[in-house]
Amino acid sequence: MIKVEFYSLLRLLLKLDKLDLPAQENEKVGQLLQRIQRQLPTPFLHKLLDDNGELIPGTIILINRRNILHLDKLETPVQEGDVIAFFPPGAGG
Amino acid sequence: MPVTERYKRQVLHWGKEKQQQLEAATVLVAGVGGLGATVSQLLTRAGIGKLYLVDDGLVDWPDLNRQTLYAETDIGQPKLVVAKKNLEQINSYVTIELLQQRIDAAFTCPVDVSLVADCLDNYSSRFLLEGTLPSGTFLVHGGIAGDQGQILTLQKGRSQSLRELFAGSPQPQGDIPVTGAGAAIIASLMTNELFQVVFGQPKLLNRFLVVGLSDLHLSFLDV
Repeated sequence: MIKVEFYSLLRLLLKLDKLDLPAQENEKVGQLLQRIQRQLPTPFLHKLLDDNGELIPGTIILINRRNILHLDKLETPVQEGDVIAFFPPGAGG
Repeated sequence: MPVTERYKRQVLHWGKEKQQQLEAATVLVAGVGGLGATVSQLLTRAGIGKLYLVDDGLVDWPDLNRQTLYAETDIGQPKLVVAKKNLEQINSYVTIELLQQRIDAAFTCPVDVSLVADCLDNYSSRFLLEGTLPSGTFLVHGGIAGDQGQILTLQKGRSQSLRELFAGSPQPQGDIPVTGAGAAIIASLMTNELFQVVFGQPKLLNRFLVVGLSDLHLSFLDV
């Protein structure tokens, strides 16, 4: 399984903090995002992707604790046992 | 009044040894605004040995809803000057050093600092601050926007960096919404973690505590 975790405003939007999905062969983060959206009744991809399918800054996406911007972004492979977290942090102080 | 009387209630909780650890500790508080004003006040009340305060701002009206060290009579005054005066009135045993400057590439972390509270309000200053810290320095980060906030402890050179973790997090345009209660809650959780770091028992090392104030939700995110 792939463990999907939502934090902060995404958790509130989706009314969901965790979701387990079966791993799929050769899947990338971008494909997983579409699959997550199909599982959920509430639209949320517009918070993460622009009209061209590119990442919108503002939400940290971590796979196994690493920010995907330091991996292969939406092309980062997702495998069995991975934990993917979506976290829009607060910037103020 | 003897010092032992001042700290009596918290020593009942954590004991004399930890109180001595606190009184021997030095903390740099970066940003003395919504988070930093309360963090520095709680550290001072607890009897931290030495505080460095870093900020270059002046007290302004929109600060007064949450920046607990400032009052109407302080409008236009340098925050650090007001903060030092008030903190010394709270606890004259604490040594308070002021670094009235922006955190930029020229900033140098004092050599006796091994613990930093990131109470800043923007990512660029956070990344610059982190870059100036010697290896091994503990950094307790706090951030808040609206009714969501987070606290995280990192150790320079052993943890991922703020710059790595927060990559892709742009600074929001304009003022960030923050309430007094929200800032005080995040600042208090930060201070609790600062105490734990001083005691050698950090609870949030490489672990975000994500706080949802609207539905009183706490969750952890390991990094």
